[in-house]
Amino acid sequence: MSAAHRHAVDSNSPSVRLGPIAQQVAKAAFAVAGIALAISVIIAVAGLFGTTAKGAFKSWMVAFLYVLSICLGALFFTMIQHAVRAGWSVTVRRIAESIAANLLWLWVLFLPVFILVLIDRGGVLFPWLKPEYMATDAIIQHKMAYLNKGFFLLRAVFFFAVWAGFAWFFWSSSVRQDESGDVALTHRMQRLAPLGLLAFALTLTFAAFDWAMSLEPHWFSTIFGVYFFAVSCCGFGASMCIALWFLGRRGKLLNEVTSEHMQDVGKFLFGFGIVFHAYIGFSQFMLIWYANIPEETGWYLARTLGPWKPFMWALLICHFAVPFLLLISRHAKRNRTFIAAVAVFLLVVQFLDIYLLVMPAISGADLASAVSYPALAARAASGDLDLGFHPGLIDLTCVLGALSLLVGLTARRLGQVPLVPVRDPRLPEALAFENM
Amino acid sequence: MTTLPMNRPLAPADNTFEDPERRAPLVLGHTTFGTVTKEICQVNEAPRPPMAWWIALGISAALAGVFTGLIGYLFATGVGVWGNQNPVMWGFPIVNFVFWVGIGHAGTLISAILFLFRQKWRTAINRFAEAMTIFAVICAGTFPGIHVGRVWLAYWLFPIPNQMEMWPQFRSPLLWDVFAVGTYFTVSLVFWYIGMIPDLATLRDRAGNRIKAIAYGFFSLGWRGSMRHWHRYERAYLLLAALATPLVLSVHSVVSFDFAVSQLPGWHTTIFPPYFVAGAIFGGFAMVVTLAVPARQLWGLKNFITMRHLENMNKIILLTGSMVGYAYAMEFFIAWYSGAMYEQFAFINRAFGQHAWAYWIMIGCNVAAPQLFWFKRFRTSIPVMFFVVNCVNVGMWFERFVIVLSLEMDFLPSSWAYFSPTWVDIWMLIGSFGLFMTLFLLFIRFLPVIAIAEVKAVMPAADPHAGHGHGADGGHGH
Repeated sequence: MSAAHRHAVDSNSPSVRLGPIAQQVAKAAFAVAGIALAISVIIAVAGLFGTTAKGAFKSWMVAFLYVLSICLGALFFTMIQHAVRAGWSVTVRRIAESIAANLLWLWVLFLPVFILVLIDRGGVLFPWLKPEYMATDAIIQHKMAYLNKGFFLLRAVFFFAVWAGFAWFFWSSSVRQDESGDVALTHRMQRLAPLGLLAFALTLTFAAFDWAMSLEPHWFSTIFGVYFFAVSCCGFGASMCIALWFLGRRGKLLNEVTSEHMQDVGKFLFGFGIVFHAYIGFSQFMLIWYANIPEETGWYLARTLGPWKPFMWALLICHFAVPFLLLISRHAKRNRTFIAAVAVFLLVVQFLDIYLLVMPAISGADLASAVSYPALAARAASGDLDLGFHPGLIDLTCVLGALSLLVGLTARRLGQVPLVPVRDPRLPEALAFENM
Repeated sequence: MTTLPMNRPLAPADNTFEDPERRAPLVLGHTTFGTVTKEICQVNEAPRPPMAWWIALGISAALAGVFTGLIGYLFATGVGVWGNQNPVMWGFPIVNFVFWVGIGHAGTLISAILFLFRQKWRTAINRFAEAMTIFAVICAGTFPGIHVGRVWLAYWLFPIPNQMEMWPQFRSPLLWDVFAVGTYFTVSLVFWYIGMIPDLATLRDRAGNRIKAIAYGFFSLGWRGSMRHWHRYERAYLLLAALATPLVLSVHSVVSFDFAVSQLPGWHTTIFPPYFVAGAIFGGFAMVVTLAVPARQLWGLKNFITMRHLENMNKIILLTGSMVGYAYAMEFFIAWYSGAMYEQFAFINRAFGQHAWAYWIMIGCNVAAPQLFWFKRFRTSIPVMFFVVNCVNVGMWFERFVIVLSLEMDFLPSSWAYFSPTWVDIWMLIGSFGLFMTLFLLFIRFLPVIAIAEVKAVMPAADPHAGHGHGADGGHGH
């Protein structure tokens, strides 16, 4: 009867304070980030292992989108809890708020891309910024009202401003409530959440168009923004499970976040990160495959030919089939260690997912000169076709560096505040929460 | 059932207030389970239904009769009685089919997805909405069923082994529809029926005459309300909810495939599956509110279907309406962004072509009108919500009409035409409302219109900790 019947949490209780752990984690994470990023820079600048500028920037794009997806998922989670006046989630919300708060500085990770475009070298990453394309390609000329340097940069500034604004608002309001216990803050967050979700939907969509879809500038898909949203839910849900497991190992939040809460966090990961993600991915693939219109199939051709083919299969199996079976049982979701293990697996697969969004590419000339699908497949199989398949160490060091930075800064931020919103008016409800 | 005294102050009559420290009451004006049973059962037990019920049933049954008559006329004459004509070979029948299937989404969403999300307010409206689902799917299934040309061969839709070795085209989404809608109907029916068993037993126990007692007794499957019955019932309910949830998504996704697997601009776009699902929930909830507003008035159910319930549904309408608006915007943006001239033509033609009026009705009703629901004052105003939900009913029909009319100006300009429905088209659409309303009115009169047992479970009296002062998880306050 003890945990389920508690009404309040003492903000100084060691169970809700990270204490020295924050600094330990931050230190270790910053060390890893420093080393990984240094190696990345060395590989990129020295061109080790045949790394080209294009390859290096693409690796960085994967790493950036990877951490961005986690933070955007966290922002979505925070806002949807307020929008629906959720009670159960109060005890886990601080984790989401703290991950989302990284959106305050995440623009720094985008700076390399921003500067690249600013100094007119954006063609390295985005084919539509190549002068030769702009001069000759009729489709790209058509899109230049949207895909142009100035508007692209302006949009990036706008996206980060919106995300940072909402992330800061929800973080700071929640932390202020720890001190004052002011219910008006809850009302304010609830009022702003629906507007935040609307702004979130539009900014996430166009950011996904700009930073992932436009890497292949001829290709288009109306569902692409929704897909990136599903990716974000998976990244955040998995991160949340791992964070709660880690905190539990260190004796934190064990009474505040019970197996009941784990089950619900697990449901979020299962429902949005695994099933919804598969549904959206399938919708996009199946419709393009079935209609088989040349304007659209190029994107998937690049991803299903030659060396990429096994990775697409791996995505289907490891992002859907395996975690679906592993997490469908309530016992699996209620077991912190088990769900965290699945979450680690999913975060690895999430890397593959984003890697497959960014890396594969097929040139328009290769597509135009292909006489038939079997001929193209044969060329791909013989390795005679450049499909953007150049995996390297830098792919891993970039993502490790960016992710470690995220972990370190999140830990440091969490170290300054209680791990739960201790005076949230719905905290008693969350503490007493039981499924069904 | 014992009745527990309620040792806390009565809730205010307005339960739409938002207090984070306590949950608003979901059942108003009742302190005991007994009065709840009585008040809900009076809908079925009143010696005679209100006059309005007779009038509505008379009109509905007449229209259903027109519908049946027109089906007979169609069978006798052929599909030429419709306005379907080259190049619009899919006219009103498919529009009506998609419209009604969409309406049929709210019920299972409320009963399954909101159940899994522990939205306790669903208990007052789920029975109602599930019934609506069943009847809407019946209307929906009728249209493709009578559109097959040689109706006497309609059973060919099913993969029945036969000596001719003839099979349906498994690669066609039209066949997937047969399975998707068939499965959805079956599961929704089972879900609805299982959920109703305890309440049917209540009606049986209260039955005033032998015929009623036998009829309700037969369908209540010997329910005695024992602990073991309840335990199995709740397990079954949870499992059915989990099974029904993917169905809510899959049915309308498959319906969207009917269009989206094609190569036709305006039909082929990747956002169609989630966009159709959001639209279906949108249209379904609008229909629930349309029916709930008069029903709660006529049968005095305002203590159960409270303003808070209506407000919550209006919020879902705002949410799904915005999703639909998002999809419209994406379609338009990508049509431009694609650089494909046929895509661009299709969308410019939609907005400014010969059927532009239909497009702007759709935008006005589906995107603009629900924006009123950003304001609580409008969400909680009966006249405003009735206006908006009826806009949505109209707008969602026109959405499907606009989509289908992508056929009107196809790749071959010489076949371009202006689609006009015939009088049979229009009367069959009206007639299908007659069928829907007839079934719905009969349901209200003869079956428990609110899930009596479930509503009781969200009352303070059902909370084992009542009086301890921390009703954290219940739909009630301290």
